[in-house]
Amino acid sequence: MTDPARTKGRLAAAGALLSALGIAAVAAIVLHRPEPRLAMAMTGTGDARHGAYVAVLGDCAACHTAPGGTPLTGGVPLETPMGVLYSSNITPASRTGIGRYTFVDFVRVMRYGVRPDGTRLYPAMPYTAYARMSDGDLRDLYAYLRQDVVPVEQATRPSTMRWPFDMRWPLALWNLAFHHPAPFRPDPTRDAQWNRGAYLVTGPAHCGTCHTPRGLAFQEAGLDEHAQRFLSGSAFAGASPVDLRGDGAVAGWPAADIATELKTGRNRASAVSGPMGEVVEHSTRYMSMADLDAVAVYLKSLSPASAGRPLRFAPSGETMAAFMAARPAGRGARLYMDSCAACHRLSGLGEENTFPRLAGNPLVLERNPDSLITVVLGGARMPSTAGAPTGLAMPPFGWRYGDADIAKLVTFIRTGWGNNAPAVSEGEVRAVRRHLADTMAYTQPQSGQ
Amino acid sequence: MQGVLAALPAAALARHADGQTTHPSEQPVNRDNLGGRSVPAASQPARDDYHPAFFTQAEWHFLNAACDCLIPPDHIGPGAVQAGVPQYIDRQMATPWAAGAEWYMQAPFFDAKPEFGYQSRLTPRQQYRLGIRAIDQACRQEAGSPFADMPAEHQVDILRRIESGAITSPDLSLRLFFTSFLLANTREGYFCDPMYGGNRGMEAWAMIGHPGARADYLDWVGRDGPYPYGPVDIHGDDA
Repeated sequence: MTDPARTKGRLAAAGALLSALGIAAVAAIVLHRPEPRLAMAMTGTGDARHGAYVAVLGDCAACHTAPGGTPLTGGVPLETPMGVLYSSNITPASRTGIGRYTFVDFVRVMRYGVRPDGTRLYPAMPYTAYARMSDGDLRDLYAYLRQDVVPVEQATRPSTMRWPFDMRWPLALWNLAFHHPAPFRPDPTRDAQWNRGAYLVTGPAHCGTCHTPRGLAFQEAGLDEHAQRFLSGSAFAGASPVDLRGDGAVAGWPAADIATELKTGRNRASAVSGPMGEVVEHSTRYMSMADLDAVAVYLKSLSPASAGRPLRFAPSGETMAAFMAARPAGRGARLYMDSCAACHRLSGLGEENTFPRLAGNPLVLERNPDSLITVVLGGARMPSTAGAPTGLAMPPFGWRYGDADIAKLVTFIRTGWGNNAPAVSEGEVRAVRRHLADTMAYTQPQSGQ
Repeated sequence: MQGVLAALPAAALARHADGQTTHPSEQPVNRDNLGGRSVPAASQPARDDYHPAFFTQAEWHFLNAACDCLIPPDHIGPGAVQAGVPQYIDRQMATPWAAGAEWYMQAPFFDAKPEFGYQSRLTPRQQYRLGIRAIDQACRQEAGSPFADMPAEHQVDILRRIESGAITSPDLSLRLFFTSFLLANTREGYFCDPMYGGNRGMEAWAMIGHPGARADYLDWVGRDGPYPYGPVDIHGDDA
């Protein structure tokens, strides 16, 4: 017979022991400072010239150079639901920049998101992707940042994260759960071009940061092609980065069209807008055609995110025929004719290299319509690139139509000419308009008398 | 401006005070700081209860009567008054254009051929103020009543004689006032976008088959039959 009191006491002791062990384990995780393993050859200096190219691949400027600000001094706000983060100064300034970072310090930040003082970075810094970068690329990038970037002392603005998100130690647990700091491993069953594309997309170019949907803890739902939802389209801040997998319209383009879009900001049938315009402006337009071709080949190899999804575009002449027969399908079609057709044409085919084609357009067909709504409400401007210098712009229409009309217009665009994307509600338009209201004064329709 | 006014006959200055009235249509175009994209000013379509901001009651009667002579209503389309043209002209009087602010308005002032452009010292506001006064004066001398109270046939005859140069005034060139302002602004107001107060209901556009701010009917070029759609205005309203 066991004494119940003694059993209870033993259980309590065991519980206390387990708690202590748990706390110790958590403390060990939290206090652990990862030591990057590097090849012996990494002790030499890097190639700063190639490092500049690596900085382009990684699009460091996107977050670390403020518009009109001194390059790489940070201060760019990143709004999150939990508060605002400000990017840091990554010039080699010794006090406020990375001037005192050793190469190992640098690698620890890039691969583990841990600063030399042990502070953990929020995963807004895409170290989850940069972890895959090669030792050589990191060494060259380090050499570039240290040798070729002008040091400028500029203190990083403190973030305004709300409690409990202002505490950084739980990020160690986040890393334990979601961060897999394994270097990129080439797939021996694929050729060199595919592997180069896989390295670029999953590593330095960190495409998944925007194009992969996120889970409850804001972790990306997959970091490479082995995850079904990797690059399957996402949504944030009034944008809906498109599905880049086999069921998205981008994958239906010839590889050359994908590469051209990244190089020049537009191709025969489409153009980038919103945040992707900035990516082209700061990064992809400087990438070599060989690298862009590799990216395209890799993207086109991704399987559909879900096998049973219906085809989202099957060209149809019915929409155009209805316009010509003076029987457009409802108010949305009428608004399209009044406000869009002069450029995008009643046929929805646009003009090659100039006005994007809406029939079969990736942005139009994306499940989440936020980017399309944003473009209609606020207009858009193509980036100016060497291959396509004219920054063609689309005017805003948010001042012209209310939410109900915009919803009808966008729904028409998503269902005309054989497009088969879900209808858009007035509420969805209202939400995007509210988001844009802070940045664009003209998004409210102007009332008549 | 002071110098220009000083050169005017003293009598002409009597009613100048209200020329400075500000007007909603003077509000600047909204511009954002994201690349200079702009949107138009708020729409101010013609309305039934309009009160002129620039013109006096007597001038307003003249303007309505004159516009009615220039484009009378008929079976083809609306008249200028129905279309809101006097409202359009009154609103234009509040713009920088009406103050001569967009032109070189300094001396010397020569009589020159039309191809040398506008040579008068008078701003559009002053043209209207002095022009209407001079025409009403001529009408009173000839028929004992201002222009607005004369029978329609007589009004048309007066305008014809002004256009031909037969009726003149010591204050200004009535012929220039008629052709470059009264008639030209009436045409503008008749075919302008409704947001400026004229072309009420886009009826003038519908009359001539103009698609308005759609600015596109390329797909119908080369096809038999009329263009099947009514016009749309700048603010997106369609007829």
